[in-house]
Amino acid sequence: MQVRLGIGAILVAIFLVIHAIPNWVSSPSNVGNIVLSPLFWPYILGALTGLVGLGLVLSGWRTAQGGPVNEPIPDPRAGAIRLAGFAVLMVATFRAMPHLGMVWTSMLAFVALAFLVKTRHPAAAVICAVVVPLILYAFFAHVASVAIPQGDLVRLP
Amino acid sequence: MSLIDSVMAGLSLVGNWEAFLSLAIGIVIGVVGGAIPGISATMAVALALPFTFPMEAINGILLLLGVYKGGIFGGSIPAILIKTPGTPASSATILDGHPMAERGEAGRALGMTLWASCTADFVSNLALIFFAGFLASFALSFGPPEFFALILFSLTIIAGVSGESLLRGALSALLGLLLATIGLDLVYGTNRFTFGDPNLMGGLNFIAVLIGLFAIPEVINMVWHPTGHVGKVQKLGSKWVTFAEYKRCFRSIIRGSFIGVFLGSIPGIGAAPAAFLSYSEARRKSPNKANFGKGEIEGVAASEAGNNGVAGATLIPLLALGVPGDVITAIIIGAFMVHGLQPGPMMFVLNVDIIYGLFIGLILSSGILFVVGGLAIRGFRPVADIPKRILMPMVLVLCIYGVFAVNNNIFDVGVMFVMGWIGFVMGRLHIPPAPFLIAFILGPLLEDNFRQAMLMSGGSPDILLRGPITWFFWALTVISIVAITRGTLRAGRAKG
Repeated sequence: MQVRLGIGAILVAIFLVIHAIPNWVSSPSNVGNIVLSPLFWPYILGALTGLVGLGLVLSGWRTAQGGPVNEPIPDPRAGAIRLAGFAVLMVATFRAMPHLGMVWTSMLAFVALAFLVKTRHPAAAVICAVVVPLILYAFFAHVASVAIPQGDLVRLP
Repeated sequence: MSLIDSVMAGLSLVGNWEAFLSLAIGIVIGVVGGAIPGISATMAVALALPFTFPMEAINGILLLLGVYKGGIFGGSIPAILIKTPGTPASSATILDGHPMAERGEAGRALGMTLWASCTADFVSNLALIFFAGFLASFALSFGPPEFFALILFSLTIIAGVSGESLLRGALSALLGLLLATIGLDLVYGTNRFTFGDPNLMGGLNFIAVLIGLFAIPEVINMVWHPTGHVGKVQKLGSKWVTFAEYKRCFRSIIRGSFIGVFLGSIPGIGAAPAAFLSYSEARRKSPNKANFGKGEIEGVAASEAGNNGVAGATLIPLLALGVPGDVITAIIIGAFMVHGLQPGPMMFVLNVDIIYGLFIGLILSSGILFVVGGLAIRGFRPVADIPKRILMPMVLVLCIYGVFAVNNNIFDVGVMFVMGWIGFVMGRLHIPPAPFLIAFILGPLLEDNFRQAMLMSGGSPDILLRGPITWFFWALTVISIVAITRGTLRAGRAKG
């Protein structure tokens, strides 16, 4: 794992130095001294990332163990499916928030997550899914004066 | 302003029930948060942060400091009762605390935890009061080259001590520094990695990054392994700690408190190493050293004194220099920023009332912790029984509201989600998140001071070595890099 991590860091560094910094960091043409340029710091960080990646590769090759290992879980395939489901849930939450409003979206996200992880207390999950976003709405909208997105459908006082 | 005037100004800020209540609520939240495995003190502080937005600055900061102190103590409760540290700082407490719980002496162990924690917390707060002002007055003479050298030193310490591997810690810090470059350039105002999106021009929202990095990965971990948290809760038992036992352990508690104060005042070291060092020193000096690891109450006292001794001392570099002492104080910087305050030596000049208000509040916090902690020990079982598969959806919803509330911007919620996945992947790759966050905070300061120094000198690097203060920090930087590298090489050789 250490070697792969190191290779990943080197690839990131190469990408930064060759593509990302020249294209996505702009610098005025009249900067006289390179150390004052907006490009200087990202280049330094890119180079250091490459060096650390190299260090990880070399230390990974030198040590026999190959780095720390993650604790295994009973069913990794089901875990991966749940992770994918959660990623979809996050994207859906982000997309739905401006249209449905934060309160309703949070309620749906709460229920979806609780059922995604197969809660043993479905009734409590549904009650919490309704109550928690409403309490948070009351606090942030009426105490902290935050303009919580209301959405296009049902508006709260 | 004289000392008496400063104290009176501080008292005028905290001499009211709102401040007292904020501190007490913070300690309760911290103890409960620290006591729930999976909700560490760090996460509790991060989640509480958005709720401080509508509060007065002093009350908001006191609430977060209460969460911090309560969280460090609260972490010891599950460490003793279910052999799962609520926070990494409580790892050393397991060594003797859990064997005591297995013997039916959990109440005695937790009682000693409470007494040692409050004593160490008090010592740490006194150290903060005595040293922060002195250090700040010294730091008032710092210019950009001195701050650059100081921040560089802080970064080397952080990269070296916050993980199993120096290189992984360094990689984490570099990722944080890289992410901190997003936004408009500090000097010329040109775009850096903004892709023309106005949401990115001000840089990534600090609170979205920190909540994404510390709270969301716990939710994702629970999705990955929903039943990974189940543990057996031990009974408290009928035995309770006695004053004679406290007296017997007092020397270890005071030694541990000073170890905590010393390590806590060095940016980046944090509570867990202090707890282990305090524990090993107590074992070395104790006449009962053979009992250590088998349920020796002095071991519990020493480890708790070590980790709580850090809690006030980490605020020394934060308040005096503007450099966070550990990851939790890095989050507390967010509260200062939200209220338009910039921690550092100038705060001792411009906001001396807040500084002294915090000092007074912190002194009170040790007493409140004693009361709240005593109740929490008896009430742990219902806290431990909160189903995690309901708790984590709650955390998700809290995060969404909290992050949105910072700027009223849904984009920040997206940043938090992305950071959550980055934090999860970092966890799977054993890359520690703490250096990332601290580097993300220190990155702009490092670059800003470097470029200001270069502007002052017309581009000559000689200015970075312009006087004894910069020499001192450069020497410390070199020494720490050499020490960390030697330690890593030795550890590598020992592993074979």
